[in-house]
Amino acid sequence: MPHEIDAVLLEDALFSLDELARSCHVSREWVIERVQWGLLLNDGATGTDPDVWLFDSRSFVRVKRIIMIERNFEGNPELAGLVADLIEEIDSLRARLKASGLDAD
Amino acid sequence: MEFKDYYKTLDVSRDATAEEIKKSFRRLARKYHPDVSKETDAESKMKEINEAYAVLSDLEKRAAYDQLGQGGFQPGSDFQPPPGWDSGFEFSGRGFDGAQAADFSDFFAQLFGGKIGPGARHAHHRMRGEDHHAKIMLELEDSYHGATRGLTLRMPKLDNQGRTVLAEHTLNVRIPKGVHAGQVIRLAGQGGPGHAGAAAGDLFLEVHFNPHNRYRIENKDVYATLPIAPWEAALGAMVKIPVPDGVVEVRVPENSQSGRKLRLKGRGIPAATPGDLYLVLEVVLPPAATEKAREFYQTMAQELAFNPRQNLGV
Repeated sequence: MPHEIDAVLLEDALFSLDELARSCHVSREWVIERVQWGLLLNDGATGTDPDVWLFDSRSFVRVKRIIMIERNFEGNPELAGLVADLIEEIDSLRARLKASGLDAD
Repeated sequence: MEFKDYYKTLDVSRDATAEEIKKSFRRLARKYHPDVSKETDAESKMKEINEAYAVLSDLEKRAAYDQLGQGGFQPGSDFQPPPGWDSGFEFSGRGFDGAQAADFSDFFAQLFGGKIGPGARHAHHRMRGEDHHAKIMLELEDSYHGATRGLTLRMPKLDNQGRTVLAEHTLNVRIPKGVHAGQVIRLAGQGGPGHAGAAAGDLFLEVHFNPHNRYRIENKDVYATLPIAPWEAALGAMVKIPVPDGVVEVRVPENSQSGRKLRLKGRGIPAATPGDLYLVLEVVLPPAATEKAREFYQTMAQELAFNPRQNLGV
């Protein structure tokens, strides 16, 4: 009999800065810099105490994307942020296409 | 276990320079980037490429791997590393991390597994296990009702010799109701094992939905096509339609056209703030297959004097 376990939505237990950094194998400073450069969270977070920041599913997926682009292509953070913006935009347009009954491909 | 030819994976020769390896890796990383690639196996390809690059971009690992290759192993052939194959090499674990390494093959785990992650070098310290990240494909119905899904995980664990090996185990995951695409769910304690008695890491799964033959999903909103007869569209009607959480009866307003959307508030994905369900009307004409049907259409043509192209100026 396999073990049963509850899945918890990240929205119900948001990540703190430390949890996000540890989970994604980056430093606190790495995350803080990218929030201050406007690449993560929204502009409202800039200038607030990093220890009160909370990260949801969207931030988590975005951080992983940015890490992958920076690492694989030695990309600079702003460029990685721009690529992540474009990927998110494409994702949302594809979802709208599909919702309208049109296939994205 | 199969011997893996990392040079072939990265499409470079055995004497390629570090710069050539990097260039080829970037070209392939672009081609198989899971967010943009049109290739069906992009994700598994990307894992192989990352694994090959983790070895070939690291001087120490590449040297050890090359020495192994001189043993005459062929790609795909059955492989066991010779005892002490890695003696004289120190692996510093640069270029990849524990979360990535969880995606790597048995071949990689066997060769470098005991040498990865922070725990390998500080095994005497209490250290929480690595978090692992992956994706899960769900059905729309799972979101409406919640579901229990079987999941097979490959977890690194230490064997008798203290080496890391990948072991499979299955667990049943209770998926909460209301989950939607792009959300991440957390399975506590299902990541990498902790060291020296510390807690295991967590497993994070990014939620995606399989395409559904009747429903389309956009964020928390769900779309379905509602076929209606011309008289239902023209005169208005109460019609029954199955929806993900049962059957509903909806009122089609009179003078509706194809493409009109009826919104059923709160009947989309049942998240904390539920999405809406949209029924997109599609007027379906009865075929003019019998004499009687043809007569009806002819009568309509004569009686209604209707020109749908009036606005086109012809």
